[in-house]
Amino acid sequence: MDWLEQELAQALARKEPAAGFDGRVRARMHPRPQWLAIAATLLVMMGGGEAWRQYHQYQGYLAKEQVMTAMRIAGSKLNRVQMQLKGTEQ
Amino acid sequence: MRPLLTLALGAVLAATLWAQQFKFNLEHLSSKASHSFDVSLNTSMLQFAAKFLDGKDPDEAKVKKLIVGIEGIYIKSFEFKNEGAYFPADVEKIRNQLKAPEWSRIVGIHNGGEKSNIEVWARNEKGKVTGVAILSSEPRQLTVCNLVGNVDLESLSDLGGHFGLPNIPKGKKK
Repeated sequence: MDWLEQELAQALARKEPAAGFDGRVRARMHPRPQWLAIAATLLVMMGGGEAWRQYHQYQGYLAKEQVMTAMRIAGSKLNRVQMQLKGTEQ
Repeated sequence: MRPLLTLALGAVLAATLWAQQFKFNLEHLSSKASHSFDVSLNTSMLQFAAKFLDGKDPDEAKVKKLIVGIEGIYIKSFEFKNEGAYFPADVEKIRNQLKAPEWSRIVGIHNGGEKSNIEVWARNEKGKVTGVAILSSEPRQLTVCNLVGNVDLESLSDLGGHFGLPNIPKGKKK
């Protein structure tokens, strides 16, 4: 084995990491609190709430329009009856 | 356990009431009509809609007041391409569904010039009006209105006048 091989074997030999190495790596991976995830969740929840509110409002508007249309039809028929009755009375 | 039981009983009761509501069978006209228009509102839908009616708008305020006693509104209107697309027997089939003694015709108007008929039927149960049916037939249109519950005909007719139709002055009481 020549000197170069020895140098390489020494350089590439397995070494145990220093104490606390994995902890330091983990800390670097999560340097901030999880505010981003919390904010994202809140945003999704707010968006979902607003979407639901708008959907509910739209459904209510449709129901109201249906009631008004129904009343309009029934009322106009009754009004015609009333007009004809008045016409025959006079 | 108890709230669950109450909820289940409530659901059964609501389903029974829903099933008890009178509805017309108009299948025989669907195939003959070129267009049809359908409004179907049960008690819960009416209650839901009432929340969105604006009390400040005069018409909506009247409707809001009117639907308090109504349990269901079912309207079906058929339009036909040509005159004679439906027969008097088709109308008779509808009329036959309004059986005595519960149902009685309170008004029937025939307009020969316009070839139109309007009939107003009331449903009485134990001396109380529990429903109103309006049957309107014109040469190219047939409309059936079924209002379940306590209906104030005077107010309803009043609304008809507000909705674009001329309202007639009320006659003097003697």
